[in-house]
Amino acid sequence: MIEFKRVSKKYPTGQLALYNVNLRLDAGEMVFLTGVSGAGKSTLLKLIARLERPSEGHILIGGKTLKLLSDQQIPSYRRNIGFIYQDPHLLDDQSVFDNVALPLKIAGISDDEIQHRTQAALEKVDLKNKSTRSPQMLSAGERQRVGIARAVVNKPTIILADEPTGNLDPKLAEDIMNTFAQFNELGTTVLIASHDHALIEQMNKRTIVLQKVEN
Amino acid sequence: MSKKNTQKNSSNKRTQKTNKKKQKNQVTTTTPLTAWINQHRNSIKFSSQRLWLNPFSTWMTLAVIALALALPTGLHILLKNLSSVASNDGENRASTISLFLKPSVTAQRALDRSELLSERSEISSAKLITKDQAIENFKHIQGFKEILATIGGNPLPHVIAISPDLSVIAESGQTIEGFAKSLKNESDVDNVQIDLEWVQRLRAILNIAERVTLVIATLLGITVLLVVGNTIRLNISGKKREIEIIQLIGATNHYIRRPFLYEGVWYGFFGGILSLVIVHFSLLFIVAPVETLAKLYDSEFVISGVGIIIMLKLLFSSALLGLAGAWIAVGRHLQQQSKRMNR
Ligand SMILES: Nc1ncnc2c1ncn2[C@@H]1O[C@H](COP(=O)(O)OP(=O)(O)O)[C@@H](O)[C@H]1O
Ligand SMILES: [Mg+2]
Repeated sequence: MIEFKRVSKKYPTGQLALYNVNLRLDAGEMVFLTGVSGAGKSTLLKLIARLERPSEGHILIGGKTLKLLSDQQIPSYRRNIGFIYQDPHLLDDQSVFDNVALPLKIAGISDDEIQHRTQAALEKVDLKNKSTRSPQMLSAGERQRVGIARAVVNKPTIILADEPTGNLDPKLAEDIMNTFAQFNELGTTVLIASHDHALIEQMNKRTIVLQKVEN
Repeated sequence: MSKKNTQKNSSNKRTQKTNKKKQKNQVTTTTPLTAWINQHRNSIKFSSQRLWLNPFSTWMTLAVIALALALPTGLHILLKNLSSVASNDGENRASTISLFLKPSVTAQRALDRSELLSERSEISSAKLITKDQAIENFKHIQGFKEILATIGGNPLPHVIAISPDLSVIAESGQTIEGFAKSLKNESDVDNVQIDLEWVQRLRAILNIAERVTLVIATLLGITVLLVVGNTIRLNISGKKREIEIIQLIGATNHYIRRPFLYEGVWYGFFGGILSLVIVHFSLLFIVAPVETLAKLYDSEFVISGVGIIIMLKLLFSSALLGLAGAWIAVGRHLQQQSKRMNR
């Protein structure tokens, strides 16, 4: 499903974030990605979502190399990926509901169905009763959950999560992880960057450790 | 999740509704067409809401657009009115050729001559003014009665007033002057006078004025384009973060562009409507003096207002200008952004 072949990423600043990375995730797998801060976890996820491009090597998604993806194909490719960002990137001038509904609106789904799917996603992250609020009125943990609901609302085939539980208390973190596990059981491929070792151990999934590149 | 139970009762009704939806979903999937319609409906809703969100700047922009459009539109309507005077409808007595007959011609012969002339296709009407009628007319003019009395007798010739049919003359490849000259060769005709020069002058002036209007319209059209483009550019820069975020989620350039394009169309369209209002009231303002002037010349000239065709043309082109302005603004933004992405 996801395959890295000798992938390196050097940012325009000259910072080498990843060097010669090889990895492979099968479809329907749930995998954790760990490593010290600055090891390149975020960079690796961004490469998969095609938010950054590799400087060297190939990334294959479903057997197809990402390099061949044209500018026009990127949006529909991204719609298959639910990305949970470290900073959840919410629109503060829109309600929680509208934020979560965004991917569905982009896909041109009817209002009725947006209503019901968004409510379902909000229920999964326990935010149904705050759907009319502005994200500004939420705690960091709640904002993070809005980001999670938005990532899963359109039933993506791949979920990428960058430190999704960083701002959550342990109980909620566990709930969120279980939500990911539920999606995974339905066939979604899940890759979670995290350094919450206790939680990783508890989930008992394959774990990839990234080594920080020494410049 | 843990709090689910407390939620259940209050959302009971919705759950039922949702279940029904679920069954329906299995049959109705989102086809590309319905997706397209939904997206357009959303951007129409969204873009028009955005105009109301900041009424002051919206009205400012609309006013600038309306004023820019009102000037060429008003000029165009005025010119159209004037050229209806210069055209040959018969009603406006715009063009006459006067045939002065030789003094020896009798009244009966003059009448026959005028009837003969009126049958020619180049002539739409020919009217005889006998020397007796002419002198009667003169007698009504202050001071002439005495002059005529001292002269004794009637020095005036019979006159045939001809309204030429300009289109027939033009079709036969003649000019109006040539036609008038040919009338001079008719027997009994002493002299020919064309009353047409002022019409031709007016036409020449109108031709220039039309070009000037075209130039003004082009320049002000570009102004509308730039005003809308700049307004949209400002709106985009206020929405940079939003655009970035929805691109991360997988919005296409079309999706991002669409609400801004609608916004541009709204600016053009409503600016156009406002300009029609301005033109309408300006015309009302000048109608009274124009009618007074027309009466002085014994003309039935009535100023015609903003016709439906002009209205549609104006709204269509202003909406198109708004669209173009928005297109340029969004296109530029997306281009810069993709350059940044593909560094
Ligand atoms: N946009 C960027 N431009 C330049 N350097 C970057 C950028 N993003 C990350 N880096 C650098 O790349 C390295 C890896 O960062 P990151 O992928 O964020 O690691 P992690 O998520 O594991 O903490 C770090 O040294 C970081 O400073
Ligand atoms: Mg990181």
